[in-house]
Amino acid sequence: MSAILAQLARRQLLWHGNSQQAAYQAVATGYSELDLQLAGGFPASGLIDIQTELGIGELRLLLPYLQQQHSRGRLLVLISPPAEPCADMLAAAGISLSQLVIITPKTSKEALWATEQCLQSGCCAVVLLWQPQLKLALARRLQLAAEQGAASLVLLRRPAAGLSLPVNLSLELTPHRQGLQLRVHKRKGGWPTADFVLDMQKHWPALYLPPASTALPQRKAG
Amino acid sequence: MALYVYLHFPALQCDSLTEAGQQAVPLAVVDAQHSIIQLNEQAAAQGVQLRMGLATAAALCHNLQLIPYQEQQQQALLMAIAQQLYQLSGEIAPDPPAGLYLRGCSMLQLYHGLDGYQTALLGGLKRLPYRYAYASAATPFAAKCLALQQFNQLTADHAVTDKALKCSPLSFTELETEMQQQLQRLGIDTLGRLLALSAAELARRFDHRLISYLGRLRGEFFHALDYIRPEPGFSRYLELLYDISDVAVLSVPLQKLLQQLEQQLERNNALCHQLTLHLYSRDSATKSYSIGSAQGEYRAVNWLRLCQLQLESSQLTAPVYGLQLEVTQFAPQQAQSDDLFAPQQGNISALQLVSLLQARLGRGAISGLSLQNQHLPEHASGRPLPLLPTRPQAGALLQRPAFLLPQPRRLHEAVEISSGPERLCADGWQLAAQRDYFIGRNQQGQWLWLYRTAQQQWFVHGLFS
Repeated sequence: MSAILAQLARRQLLWHGNSQQAAYQAVATGYSELDLQLAGGFPASGLIDIQTELGIGELRLLLPYLQQQHSRGRLLVLISPPAEPCADMLAAAGISLSQLVIITPKTSKEALWATEQCLQSGCCAVVLLWQPQLKLALARRLQLAAEQGAASLVLLRRPAAGLSLPVNLSLELTPHRQGLQLRVHKRKGGWPTADFVLDMQKHWPALYLPPASTALPQRKAG
Repeated sequence: MALYVYLHFPALQCDSLTEAGQQAVPLAVVDAQHSIIQLNEQAAAQGVQLRMGLATAAALCHNLQLIPYQEQQQQALLMAIAQQLYQLSGEIAPDPPAGLYLRGCSMLQLYHGLDGYQTALLGGLKRLPYRYAYASAATPFAAKCLALQQFNQLTADHAVTDKALKCSPLSFTELETEMQQQLQRLGIDTLGRLLALSAAELARRFDHRLISYLGRLRGEFFHALDYIRPEPGFSRYLELLYDISDVAVLSVPLQKLLQQLEQQLERNNALCHQLTLHLYSRDSATKSYSIGSAQGEYRAVNWLRLCQLQLESSQLTAPVYGLQLEVTQFAPQQAQSDDLFAPQQGNISALQLVSLLQARLGRGAISGLSLQNQHLPEHASGRPLPLLPTRPQAGALLQRPAFLLPQPRRLHEAVEISSGPERLCADGWQLAAQRDYFIGRNQQGQWLWLYRTAQQQWFVHGLFS
């Protein structure tokens, strides 16, 4: 019996329910609670879909990941960022600015073309794309390009109901006083988990409000 | 022992217009006297002949395409061939309008004899689209006379060439038509008979031009040839058979030019970083594009891709009748060293990627980011050219937002301040311009970088993303 089982297992005809294989190679996120929730971290390649409002901490969540990913001399590409990226913040996070490329295309079609070229080239580690919407077929195409170039694409967009995209990881971020509240919509090789709060006080002490909001007087702009 | 090779190109201008693998139309080049002086094989197959009148030719072949003879273009083509062959044979002298003298004797040692020289030379000529005839002899004029008769063999045996030379009719010599007629009236119709006569007797009846020609033909007089020097850079003009207004169609002739460039770059073991493409059109001004490659390329395929991307982004307003490709500077080729342990995934490098993006999106759309030694936030981030190596800066300032707004906007909402103030002042004497920066969070949960002016006005300057 066991000999037959072993033989079947060797020929990969048998699938064990308890041996969960990672669907992707995970890279630590830099936040230990998040690593735990995502069973290892962010995917090293492929599409990462992040649904977020602008300016709530989405880039701070990604910074340790970006820093690790492009540390081996590959490029980090920002495509159509919402405003002027600030060198101080990126340099302070350990990102080497000589390997950073910022692309500001005029149309979204050009942005997608540039994204595909960067992903395919094999010389980019991570491409960050700010794009309002992405069609299913295009997402599939970008996923293939990312696999070809062993790159990862982080798609940052507003929360929107729609068809689920073929991505490795889909997160929705909502602001929280201590950091961010995360919801995993989809994770390749895993089940969605309950919402959880990521405390970012340790990493960003200046961007932290104590839980009791009444303790501090509110300042109102004049 | 002297050895000269003569190359004769009977239909330079005509052959430059035909493309390999394309359905060819009958073509002929006509001179100012309306007589056909060059034609291609398709025209010859329909019965058109050289020195035929225009009316006869048109009657024989109804779809004959006629092109006026352009001396300048013919000369440019001849010089281009000479430049290309220079890599194979050292001393080349152009013989306009359609020939080249090559001094072969100095090359024999390099190629280990005549066979090696012949293989190299004919191999080089095969890559060019032109038909040719060739011959070798002990003197330049003898080689030319034989090449015009399509002798088509290279030999060091002077007995063979002398024999062929003696049978050649006078029409293949350099003598004027008048003199040829004069000699024919005397019964001298081949070069052999002319050479048999003694020079003193000929000098009595004919002028010095005949003596000078025969002396140079025999090798008794010195024949000075004006050998070319290689030109730096690359410049080729290509006239199109028909006007093109579509970029996709234009890439076919462009590829032809780029392949010629590739051949030259490959031979020089060089690459180029920049090329200029001029598109000539009848109605509007000449358009020039400068196409760059940060890494430097020599392959035609890569250059074609960059050119196509650049051309696609700009519309052609008028049909193009000719294109010219120019490269002013070559750079030495350098081997790329890749990481042995982390092999590159794709097939292009970072510099190639940047060139590709620049070609399609424009130069302004791609930039890098650099940290300037400035404390004012609007001056702290520079946007240089991408991938410039930057020296490690003094420490970056902490607590800076991820994004700066291009223009600070007035704050119109309630925010909770989490840290601050940090006072920044542009110049010491402008105390009124000082700003106190705070970090605050608005009701939507966005982290803002705010400042308060000396006039107690609040502005949003950045976003902590």
